Amino acid sequence: MLRGQLQCLSPRFLLFCSFPSSAASFSILILILLLLRRRRRRRLSELKNIAFSPFACFSRRFFVSGMEKERFFGGGWKSAHAGLLPEVSAFAGDEHLPHSFVGFGWEQPVHGQEAHAQQLESALSSLVSSPSSNAPDGNDSVVIRELIGRLGSICNSGNVSPSSRCHSAHASYYSTPLSSPPKLNLAGADHQRQRMLVNQVAAAPFLADQGFAERAARFSCFGAAEAGQLSRVSSRQSLAKEVAASYAMMAGSSSSPEASSASEKLTAVVAEHNARKRKAAPKGKGKAAAPSSSSAMDPPEEENSDSKRCKAAEAGGADKDAPVKPKTEQNSSDDGNAKPPEPPKDYIHVRARRGQATDSHSLAERVRREKISERMKLLQDLVPGCNKVTGKAVMLDEIINYVQSLQRQVEFLSMKLATLDPQLEFDTETLLSKEMHQVHVPLPQQVLFPLDMATSAFSLAQLPLKLAENPPDSMFSSLQLPPIDHLANLWEDDLRYVVQTGFPQSQEAPFSSGALRAE
Amino acid sequence: MSHAAADTAADAALGSSGKLRTAPKSSTPVNRWRNSSKERAYRRRLVEVLCSAAANSRSSGPCSIKEAADSALATTAHGRSRWSRAILFARRCRGSGSSRKLLAKAGGTRCRLTSAPPPPTKKGNKLGHRLRALGRLVPGCRKLPALTLLEEAADYLAALEMQAKALRDLTDVLSAAESGGVPPEN
Repeated sequence: MLRGQLQCLSPRFLLFCSFPSSAASFSILILILLLLRRRRRRRLSELKNIAFSPFACFSRRFFVSGMEKERFFGGGWKSAHAGLLPEVSAFAGDEHLPHSFVGFGWEQPVHGQEAHAQQLESALSSLVSSPSSNAPDGNDSVVIRELIGRLGSICNSGNVSPSSRCHSAHASYYSTPLSSPPKLNLAGADHQRQRMLVNQVAAAPFLADQGFAERAARFSCFGAAEAGQLSRVSSRQSLAKEVAASYAMMAGSSSSPEASSASEKLTAVVAEHNARKRKAAPKGKGKAAAPSSSSAMDPPEEENSDSKRCKAAEAGGADKDAPVKPKTEQNSSDDGNAKPPEPPKDYIHVRARRGQATDSHSLAERVRREKISERMKLLQDLVPGCNKVTGKAVMLDEIINYVQSLQRQVEFLSMKLATLDPQLEFDTETLLSKEMHQVHVPLPQQVLFPLDMATSAFSLAQLPLKLAENPPDSMFSSLQLPPIDHLANLWEDDLRYVVQTGFPQSQEAPFSSGALRAE
Repeated sequence: MSHAAADTAADAALGSSGKLRTAPKSSTPVNRWRNSSKERAYRRRLVEVLCSAAANSRSSGPCSIKEAADSALATTAHGRSRWSRAILFARRCRGSGSSRKLLAKAGGTRCRLTSAPPPPTKKGNKLGHRLRALGRLVPGCRKLPALTLLEEAADYLAALEMQAKALRDLTDVLSAAESGGVPPEN
């Protein structure tokens, strides 16, 4: 009776048909219906407490419709192994089973997936029907195997990610349920999780179904891939070696090629963890670890050296490159030699640092930011007096002001040059020789000139006068005195600014000396 | 100041030894522009340009000398950097009308010199404003991404320093020559 109704009718009608008894039960039914509709996910304990085994059939529909397949399976597996055994025997009453099913799936948060819900419903109905068809006193193990088989078939029908999620749910035996596989975070320095991984993988071969071993291997590779992607790795070398050892053991024990590839990848990942920890840990310690795992490292390292462009689908998520790693270590430690390791680090090979995100976008951004900061450091060296300044914005301000002041200087000097000798009839050789001589000689003198606003202003003010007073010369006959006044103001402003910012005196003193010499 | 001391020491070393300072890092703009060979090349070019400009009687204004100096600087850069190419291109196409935009772009810095573009921002994104201001200052680098802009700015800054120094020395020499042996008053 219950079987047929489960299959074809909605649970409400089912309940009506099966329990037409009393108005009290009907009212309770409606209450629970509303309750379930509103708070599907939170009233587990209340639901359990309520004597709703007759109502559990419809409640199952609501809950199941809001449930992820893997969550159910996750809860279901637990119960399938442990809780269902006693329940199956009592299944003849066909009252407790729905209760038990409902009771199991509730610890996890639920998300709506209708297709899965329908699959689940069909599965559940078949499950419900099949044991009821069997003799209740019959073989419990047979029933369990059937259940496992059916759930496994449903698992198989999904694609890879649900199956991996299935295994993540399977993995959630030991820990809090994960909302998404990437959150299987080996890294938060959780030894427990790594041990979990080990345990799960070790437990994988013990599963009855053959497919589970394969799926567990795939999951381990997936987990390993994600572990490879994550730069936050638990920093115990011993633990990593444990994992590696366990995987090696697994690779030896299980005959499936996937498991061996998974173990290879995991050793590679572990080796990368070792490598990454080597970067964090002192070098000597790391190098002690390096030779131990170097043999295992070398073949998978070649596989893992992907370019930054390839998106992580397989085990080589973020890009690692062992030969670049020591260079980057030196690079990080040695600020002076930024250039030689830069070319290999620049384009393709980027190592994700410990404690930072590792998707390709953030890696690219980090590289870009580092380049920009390098250029800023270069500019800092160029601009005088910027050693104390920290921060890009202020630094940029300084750079802009310095460039402006230099441009003004050049303009002013060119104008002065225009005023001084418009004709330039002398030959270049003597000029150059004089220049070279002038370059060397006045330089030590310039430092001695104290920079003074008064003197510069005085020199500036004197300049036009002195030029006018010069003896008439062929050069000066055609001299056109440019309007120097505004230039003088400009230069004064520039000087004022420069004085305030602590500009070096070498820039100003030669001008003042030149101006003084022109008098 | 330490920078001044370093600068003068470097220049004195350059002058006294008279040979190229072997820079271990060859690609930094500072080392690129502080070579004495570069200085000499620039000064030679500058003098040539000035002589030619003066001979052609084209130097009708103070701007021509600045242009000449800039073009000499750009030529000395061998056109490897973006700003040098922008300067040369603008100078060459000065006559044609279609190049007004380029000229305004390249020579726009001249017009802006009097009005200092202050980059104060009230809101966030101060970096963006300042980067754009820097792009306006450096010729031909208006719409560059930050990375290349900073690189060009470093190169341009080093070149400007060299140019200012060369012009200063030139004016010193010329003024000393004109004054005709008047002893500099310390």
